[in-house]
Amino acid sequence: MMCLRCLKDTAAKIAEAPDGSKEWEMYYCERCNYSWRSTEEPEITVLEKRDPEFQLGNLDLDTLQMLNPIPPLRK
Amino acid sequence: MDALQKSGQLVTVHDPVLPEPDVRTYLRGAADLGSKSPAVVFDNIRGYRGLRIAGNVHGSWVNHAILLGMDRDATIREQFFQVEKLWTNLDQGELKWIQNAPCQEVVHDKNINLYEIMPLFRINQNDGGCYFSKACVVSQDPDDPDSLEKENVGIYRVMVQGPDTLGMQGLPYHDIARHLKTAEERNMPLPVAICIGTPPILTTMAATPLAYNQSEYKAAATMMGEPLELTKALGSNLNVAAHSEYVIEGEVIPRQRFCEGPFGEFPGSYSGVRKQVRIKINRVTHRQNPIHETLFIGKPWTEHDTMIGLWTSVPLYKQIKADFPEIKCVNATYQHGLTTIVSSDIRLGGFGKTLAFRVASTPHGTSYCKNIIVVDGDIDPFNLDKVMWAISTRVRADKDVTIVQNTPGMPLDPCSEPAGMGCKLIIDATTPVMPDTMREITMIADPPGSAEAAERLRNAWKPADA
Repeated sequence: MMCLRCLKDTAAKIAEAPDGSKEWEMYYCERCNYSWRSTEEPEITVLEKRDPEFQLGNLDLDTLQMLNPIPPLRK
Repeated sequence: MDALQKSGQLVTVHDPVLPEPDVRTYLRGAADLGSKSPAVVFDNIRGYRGLRIAGNVHGSWVNHAILLGMDRDATIREQFFQVEKLWTNLDQGELKWIQNAPCQEVVHDKNINLYEIMPLFRINQNDGGCYFSKACVVSQDPDDPDSLEKENVGIYRVMVQGPDTLGMQGLPYHDIARHLKTAEERNMPLPVAICIGTPPILTTMAATPLAYNQSEYKAAATMMGEPLELTKALGSNLNVAAHSEYVIEGEVIPRQRFCEGPFGEFPGSYSGVRKQVRIKINRVTHRQNPIHETLFIGKPWTEHDTMIGLWTSVPLYKQIKADFPEIKCVNATYQHGLTTIVSSDIRLGGFGKTLAFRVASTPHGTSYCKNIIVVDGDIDPFNLDKVMWAISTRVRADKDVTIVQNTPGMPLDPCSEPAGMGCKLIIDATTPVMPDTMREITMIADPPGSAEAAERLRNAWKPADA
């Protein structure tokens, strides 16, 4: 299914309410690591109502800043 | 929690709540109740029947006083000096290892799905997922894994990324970054254990900028005045707090980074989305009937500010006092010390700036302390009326206000541009002394005995609504 944040077809259901109540389902995108619950506010669960500032649809994830650089291997 | 309950500082929400947005809404409300706000427990979370969340445990100065064993009305200054008094011989604390620890009563090591094991929730609406905001992350120096002193216990933000993976932010100046760097240089996974719901003094020590070779466990034991009980993680050499509510065991995957964030951070703003390390979870252990202890963080003031305020102030005070014994007190409670107020007697003209430079050269102050205000030693830095008086009547802008450009900055500070760079603002609001000069001015002295008179009045005072 489509990720609500990065808009790629890389999301899936990963959990449901553990008490058997079927109160909610949890979704997760393995590409951008976003997750959301089916019972969250429309600003989260409805694509048209999401804040564009937090959308990653046009972002190449490889360009993200890396605060901890990977060090050279020890020889 | 028992101490808070007995003091009337614990409220249990029995009404059904959704993980989002209800938990965050209540915890924001608790923070807004101010300096006396209670801890909050949720015991009826929809979809998580039987599981509980606790928040705001360190969320007010009353709670903080109770955790220190003080009277609930202890002032912030009194709490500062209580922490300062306990802050001796931190390396002498006694540790005790136990078997069959409470934190390992229940073990999950197959088909781990964190979303179903723990009551997770999104802390702020635009966070990238569910976060652990109050988790003590334990790691060891791969070059010296048996060193208790180099074993690090630190609070770093941890993002749940799928059923059995986590993202984590350990910034380059954090102790865990040294462990990560060593492990990555060897292309080895770094074992970590994430303890949630630890003894409250251990949580504060994990948030405190101790030296690299100081043990947070021993320091916590010293502060508690009793041995701290540890146990070995089930799958590694790591030591974990035996009475934790939950322990997540895993390994940092070496030499890879993954998309993490954003997260609503302590300045009251969202961090960006960055590439951060990933932890693969191998095991989750917990108590019978555990409580997921969390911390709401948002626009200040929140539990974050109370929890770390004095535990940032006291180590700064100790480090500066070692060189400059004239120092009287430090208030670094504003956003982890982004603004820091130092009170000190003044040795010679210009000495206020010397003290500011020392603040800026402490390990914590290097990146965090960007607005440094120095006031005379007779001014309580926790009394902002007095601090503002000092600024109003002492500061000569042409001599006493200094900006040092292009210094390290705190990347989460929204003013830090580029993230990690900044500058220092020094305001020397002390009275000029020789060889500096000022006009001949005589200050008004308080009448002798006025402090005692105030105390007598306080005792005799019965407000109408009492």
